[in-house]
Amino acid sequence: MITFEPGNLRVPKWTRPVYMVAAGTTDYRKRYPEMKLEELCMMAFRMLLEENDLKRAPLDVKGLVNFAAYGEFADHFQDQLLCEAKVHDYLGLDLLPNVGIKTGGATGGSAMLVGATSIASGMSDCTLVLGWERMDEVKTWTGNYYIASAACKDFETRLARNYASYYAPMARRFQEMYGVDERVRAEIAVKNRGYACNSPFAQQPGRHTVDEVLAGDVVSDPLRFLECCAMSVGSAAALLCSEEVAFALTDRPVRLSIAGGSHTLRTGDRRPMRIPLLPHETEEGYAWLYEEMAKHDGRWPGFESFGAARFAANMVYRMAGIQNPIEDLDLVETHDAFTISDLQTYGDVGLTPYGREQDYVTSGDCYLDNPRTGERGRCPANLSGGLLGTMHAVGATGIFQCGEVFWQLQGNYDKFHGDQAIWRRFGKEKPADWQSLQVKDPRRGLAISHAGVGSHVTCAVLERGW
Amino acid sequence: MSGSTPPVYAPAKIDQIGEAWVVQIPRFGAEGTHYHTYGLLTPHFKGLAEGRLLGTRCVEPTCPVSKGEGELWLPPRADCPDCHQRMTWQEIPNPTGYIYAYTYVERGGTGLEIPCPYYQIDVKIDGVCTIVKSYLDGPGPIRIGDRVRACFRAGAEATHTCLDLYWQLV
Repeated sequence: MITFEPGNLRVPKWTRPVYMVAAGTTDYRKRYPEMKLEELCMMAFRMLLEENDLKRAPLDVKGLVNFAAYGEFADHFQDQLLCEAKVHDYLGLDLLPNVGIKTGGATGGSAMLVGATSIASGMSDCTLVLGWERMDEVKTWTGNYYIASAACKDFETRLARNYASYYAPMARRFQEMYGVDERVRAEIAVKNRGYACNSPFAQQPGRHTVDEVLAGDVVSDPLRFLECCAMSVGSAAALLCSEEVAFALTDRPVRLSIAGGSHTLRTGDRRPMRIPLLPHETEEGYAWLYEEMAKHDGRWPGFESFGAARFAANMVYRMAGIQNPIEDLDLVETHDAFTISDLQTYGDVGLTPYGREQDYVTSGDCYLDNPRTGERGRCPANLSGGLLGTMHAVGATGIFQCGEVFWQLQGNYDKFHGDQAIWRRFGKEKPADWQSLQVKDPRRGLAISHAGVGSHVTCAVLERGW
Repeated sequence: MSGSTPPVYAPAKIDQIGEAWVVQIPRFGAEGTHYHTYGLLTPHFKGLAEGRLLGTRCVEPTCPVSKGEGELWLPPRADCPDCHQRMTWQEIPNPTGYIYAYTYVERGGTGLEIPCPYYQIDVKIDGVCTIVKSYLDGPGPIRIGDRVRACFRAGAEATHTCLDLYWQLV
């Protein structure tokens, strides 16, 4: 049983607020031989400077930058150490300081966390957060070997060399303990890949059906191909500022709070503990769950949940004053690298109670337009298309997610997803059946960045700052 | 090993440096080999090669969690994460457990030594506080809760990796 001392549970208290004022991204592709990595980073950087209606000229904005936090998942993929220096130089930011961040799949979120603390501390007034991944230099199954290097090399890597096979046992356990129909998992894939059809950045848009997902080839039982994200290439960027600089650059800055959590790589090493309670939860509310777990030799977080996600959510909700996430959040971007890890996370971040995660899908709350009720969904998830539909160029992912929430809060979904010129920039035509996925008048959104089997998680709350 | 073909890779070469086993992991041929030490966990891997399963436990009376009577850790750790004192080795005789979670791996990444498809299983062993990820020798179907017993790739068969421990249905 792990217990915490009060000091461990201190809620982060920044010395000054942090704002996001701009976002940029490339499109995402399984292979991107047309451009070098640093050229893709420049594309995202240019979009950030030039297309966010900032009140200063692009080079004047660049002239405000004090610091850069870069996200890159794996040197293996880039086959280049110190990629940060190459990118930094290429963006013309020498001799400013930068740091490289690496926390697996949560790298982008961690880069946002480091960038935010650089502002909150006063070290910087204007910080560039930029991430990338280039996963196309090797074949897919060698890429899987590289990713499986993020499992424990002494005791686990040799047991699959394919990362889906570390999530799949969690899927098996979760769905048997909580009686989850696999159609719920498949529906997540259908929804997110469907939303991706409206994104010019999307790598794997598609209008699929639940039956089609379930009839697909199995990667690692029970996960089918369409339930797993793909190798991806691209770059995303965010610009973070102090309050003074933020309002000098835009009338619509977005306030950022972000916190993290971590847990051992080896799922089986996750010793039981009591559930840390979110502001709206009570011990009594989980009495039934502890009884249920006792019947099945269950434990929290065990194989069913992600302790790191709960820790990060708990901290960031207290930083941002979120009382009940499903009520207080207007949209979320979750880390749907696999359908199952997405489903498991709903309880961690309090969109549902633990044990009732599937209700978020079966109720229709996770949709922009709830197909069950015909009304607006309570808290739509992954309108960007998510990792399944749009991208998982790993080091960029957590940054891309924040960018999508940022544009939604500014009311700019259509500007960045519905402009034919952006579709054509990436060699695509805007579909005739394109739909706006703009949430009506949103105030607050959540972005979850997640690393291998929940080893690192960040939760970012973005809120309209005007 | 019955029921499936043996791993395709030859046993890993090892160097003994002091008490530690250093396993050779070839990557770019002889000049590109990684020399990876098992450090203080060497007794575990030596145990596997002898057909014995060894874990560690904390016996430090001042440890806030174990209070000197810790459960076994498997995979083992040399040092207790709760009190930071050195843990004690203990053999698990005739190890048995049950399948806590599992997956049927149909596609492995490049370099996978276990012939696909196969069951990767997470085993809950009595008296062990952790749940061990391993693999099953034999065909399915299997269910959560099925009892299994430990088997070893020992002696001349040993690979000197975690693959030396596997399980069969009881």
